[in-house]
Amino acid sequence: MILKGRPISKGKGRGEVLLLDETFSFLGGVDPRTGELSSTTGLLGANLKDRVFAFRMGKGSTVGSYTLLQLKKEGNLPAAIINNRAETIVATGAVMASVPMVDSIDLALLHPGDEVAVDGEAGTVDLFNVKESRVVTSVLTNQGRILALKRSEKVSSCQNMWAGVSGYIEPGETPLQTAMKEVEEETSVHGCRPIRQADPILVRQSDMVWVIHPFLMECPTESITIDWEHTEYRWISPSQVDEHVTVPGFRRVLRSLGL
Amino acid sequence: MHLTLDEESTLAGERGHGPQRAMELLVALGRIYDAERLAPITSAHLSGVSYKTIGDGGLDFLEEMSADAKVCVPTTLNPAGMDLERWREMGVDQAFARKQTSIINAYGRMGVQTNCTCTPYITGNAPRLGETVAWAESSALSYVNSVMGARTNREGGPGALAAAILGKTPLYGLHMEENRRATVVIEAEISDDITDFSLLGHAVGQKIGAAVPYFRGIRPDCNGLKTMAAAMAAAGSVAMFHVEGLTPEAGRQQLGGLERIQMGKGDIKRAKDSLTTGKDPDLIALGCPHLSQMEMKMLASLLDGKKKRSDAPEVWFCTSRTVRAWCPKESQVLERFGKVVCDTCMIVAPIEGNHKCTATNSAKACTYLPSLCSQKVVCGSYAELLERIA
Repeated sequence: MILKGRPISKGKGRGEVLLLDETFSFLGGVDPRTGELSSTTGLLGANLKDRVFAFRMGKGSTVGSYTLLQLKKEGNLPAAIINNRAETIVATGAVMASVPMVDSIDLALLHPGDEVAVDGEAGTVDLFNVKESRVVTSVLTNQGRILALKRSEKVSSCQNMWAGVSGYIEPGETPLQTAMKEVEEETSVHGCRPIRQADPILVRQSDMVWVIHPFLMECPTESITIDWEHTEYRWISPSQVDEHVTVPGFRRVLRSLGL
Repeated sequence: MHLTLDEESTLAGERGHGPQRAMELLVALGRIYDAERLAPITSAHLSGVSYKTIGDGGLDFLEEMSADAKVCVPTTLNPAGMDLERWREMGVDQAFARKQTSIINAYGRMGVQTNCTCTPYITGNAPRLGETVAWAESSALSYVNSVMGARTNREGGPGALAAAILGKTPLYGLHMEENRRATVVIEAEISDDITDFSLLGHAVGQKIGAAVPYFRGIRPDCNGLKTMAAAMAAAGSVAMFHVEGLTPEAGRQQLGGLERIQMGKGDIKRAKDSLTTGKDPDLIALGCPHLSQMEMKMLASLLDGKKKRSDAPEVWFCTSRTVRAWCPKESQVLERFGKVVCDTCMIVAPIEGNHKCTATNSAKACTYLPSLCSQKVVCGSYAELLERIA
């Protein structure tokens, strides 16, 4: 699985992910003589040397740029830096110390200990041991309510959780083709009309990243017939979603569709 | 970000390693902040000079850059960690002095003017209304944005150096008219004491963070503006402000619908009390930002003819070498009470080796002295501090 972000500082770096889901100041946040993170972080004693250091965003004094140069001098640089959002201090330090750096990466897609390769020119993060699974999720709507389906025990993932109409995108299919096909198969309704499509949503689950293509479909009828993949269905208002145990990323799918 | 063919070739390393590294830095910053292109600059001012702050890593970087890079616009330098001539009198050790000299020499090799001051706009690097520049040093860049009407972002030292080498800066942020507009109105009722302007800046910076304030009800002179800009940038991260009837872009601000904040004498007193953490200063340090010619004259006239108190602590009057040269008589008077220290200040010099408690009239210095110099702090007006001296 290759994640696409923005290139910030050139070069390639590979290593194990050190994940700090916080903003971070290099000044005071790390001891340049050892590479160990300080008690101002949630990872006291963790060492960033040769790791791919992933944190949300830089903060604090501009002197932090020079801390990266001090880490370089001491031989304790990280192999690469990943940020959710880059800012001046860390980006400056990364360029000066020649640390490959990429931003615009959703940190929720990384797990501590993942072996990854960062390409600071392409702006990519390669998660070697993580597979990508491309799926669609269609939310059917009828008179302001949406269709929630409970997944059966015969499906391969997320059993007994509530979801939209979902399915794997087969080779050669466009997401929309998959979405139309799955709606007919799983609800037996003909004539659903796609009214909205959102950008794919990425969800990490153990060694898998789901790439979910969201669709909003207008359904001409309330009466549907489910197949073996589901055991139950309900037409609910979007506010009732929270009362159900839903598949990972389902709320983000709804948000992306404006629900 | 769009790059010209020439810029692309610099990025590819065709002009050498230093310019390539500089271009990488500008491209990274431009990308982060969605700049459309690079724009030419007319001057630069660099921070990252004191060995105390940039360390051996910073020195290595400057040595590397100075191998084949030169600045191509007038470029000035922030204070260093010591008076470059009288460092022994300041209690700076030889190892520090050697490293500090290497840093200054590296900047010098790149064509940077090595007159180290945080007020270069007083001593010759004075951008004009509407000019695009790349300045570091939060107090100076806020002053040139707000008081002189030039345009700069809040650069870090390396970003400003990269801009100086290439003569360009990515166009975003405070280079754009829409980001220079007032976002909050400050209605202030305070005295005309210069320290009160500093404390007002502190209180406002703490309250508004990174906004663009529009001040009403105050009329600071350029010394008041200088210390207010410094305090606001240190307490918040204000890089641009307007003062009604005074600063060049104040007249075109639309104030309708903006939040209004009242600031009075109570706020000034609270700021002063909160910054004071010590009692018995062993150092009194004036000149953050560096003393102007006018301030040197004022201090000398207040002290002239007086007798130094026997229990007076060490006193530093921090200024630029240029202003000192402009004020030979005043410097003579001040030297009877303390040292007229050039090229440095109480924040970037390693004072923690010799001092425990510092008194000053600058809210900016009060903000940084505890964390950067391990000092207890006494915040006082010029009048209060001079009483401790004579």
